[in-house]
Amino acid sequence: MNSRERFLAAMRGEPTDRASVFSANQTGTYELMDATGAEWPEAHQKAEPMAKLAAGAHTIIGFDAVRVPYCQTFESEALGSTVKYAGREGVPRIHEHGYKIGDPISYPDDFLERGRIPELIKAVELLKEQVGDSAAVGGNIVGPFSIAANLLGITDVLKASFKKPESLEPYLEVAERAGTELGKALLEAGADFIIIEDMMASIDVISPPIFEKVAQPWEKRQLDGLPSDALTIIHICGKVNSITKQIAETGTTAISVEPTVDAPAMKAILSEFDRPIPLIGGVDAVNTLFSGTAGTVRADVEKALADGYDMIAPGCSIPPSATNEMLKAMVQTAEEAAKK
Amino acid sequence: MNEQELMEAAAAAIVAADEEKAVDLARQALELGLDPVKVINLGYSEGMKQVGDLFERGQVFLPEVIIASEAMVAAVDILEEGLPEAEKEKTAGIAVLGTIEGDVHDIGKGIVATLLRVYGFEVHDLGRDVPLDDFVAKVKETGAHIVGSSALMTTTMVGQRTLEQKLKDAGLRDKVKTMVGGAVVTQHWADKIGADGYAEDAQEAVQKAIEIAETMRG
Repeated sequence: MNSRERFLAAMRGEPTDRASVFSANQTGTYELMDATGAEWPEAHQKAEPMAKLAAGAHTIIGFDAVRVPYCQTFESEALGSTVKYAGREGVPRIHEHGYKIGDPISYPDDFLERGRIPELIKAVELLKEQVGDSAAVGGNIVGPFSIAANLLGITDVLKASFKKPESLEPYLEVAERAGTELGKALLEAGADFIIIEDMMASIDVISPPIFEKVAQPWEKRQLDGLPSDALTIIHICGKVNSITKQIAETGTTAISVEPTVDAPAMKAILSEFDRPIPLIGGVDAVNTLFSGTAGTVRADVEKALADGYDMIAPGCSIPPSATNEMLKAMVQTAEEAAKK
Repeated sequence: MNEQELMEAAAAAIVAADEEKAVDLARQALELGLDPVKVINLGYSEGMKQVGDLFERGQVFLPEVIIASEAMVAAVDILEEGLPEAEKEKTAGIAVLGTIEGDVHDIGKGIVATLLRVYGFEVHDLGRDVPLDDFVAKVKETGAHIVGSSALMTTTMVGQRTLEQKLKDAGLRDKVKTMVGGAVVTQHWADKIGADGYAEDAQEAVQKAIEIAETMRG
């Protein structure tokens, strides 16, 4: 079984020779930049370095899948927010949001030609050509609620989500459509799977009732809008146990979470669905990949396998300071576990 | 409505995140000639404390906390008009706050700034995406007791360590206490970089800031 076959089988809930290992979130690290010669900020902006750095996650680390991009600003920039770069060290962030609640907004017909979106689509094409036979290729889109937060500012969005959720609808609608159109374009470019990162729709930030009102319905609509055979992953940060069922009901193929969740409890809820819904995660991005060692990585992976995670991944963006040794330890631990 | 009833209603208005009601009760308190300081401390602050407790228990969430803290500010602004001049000038301490350059999310830090103002701090909120040198310059300019920085990503968290060094280089580190917070920040990180305080959430940050300011005033 090669990496791609293992990843796709795991996503479909079919048997694999060992647990599949990859990252649903960003994979750019300083060591991979050194090794591939593709660096930020260029890898945020241009298709070639974008693909080159992403490929390293498979060719150097041994992850079963590769994915682009490295930040969550592509859709928001194309819709009118401005972006600031952080050189080689960091990820682009929103500089000016672009909208205030009440401002008119509409989906631009040339959305897919705007900003860096064409480069992202091209990066997926390049990855497909370069590593697509041996690794699964993933394209990332940002969830509607999180795009709305980028367009309006999170504080205003939070206040409105409590006081006047209907005022967010025009932005959520455009955000959903933007992500869905991008997702379709990435699939057409050759992506094997789509990750919907809805990091702001976290239960650390909003309550379960607000999640059900302003985040989940739009995620569901997004998944309904993608081709029915598309493999998809929703990633939401925080302890999402209380909304497990609602996330699964969006129709997502798999769910990616932070290790703060109670994984066995989530698995129990997911097992009640009439389809396999893989649970992805288990490695602590901050305490382990930022502050830990290859040894703590191994301990995280062993615990994750014991807790019933179906696929092993960091629970959040890989800290760029994480070493190859640490990331390789994720793969090695999964390999060793399969031999036992 | 007597004083006790009003203070209880004020606390309840904060817990309900009802700004209109909170403001209305503040006006009533002034009309009744109640002691504004007492109404703030035993009424509104008590409500905010309850909101903090509910937040810790996962019974209320950030949107409610933000709205409740804004309701509290609106009420306190009104009550402060009724304070004697000497009382108005008193400060609990001077705090400089900001989110480290590269980070644009400032929900928690915004709540801390709001609450510290309510608790009588002179707060200089530098906002989000703040260059480290701006923190240093503001500490120098204001003679701050506390500088608090927030980080939500591992890439910006390292800025908190650099800030410690920059404060040392500027000869300010023994004059100001540092506090760190933000989604990815832990007590372990605070200890590792030598920060004076870490807080898990806004309520705890405010409590620690008050304690730190008290020790600094001696």
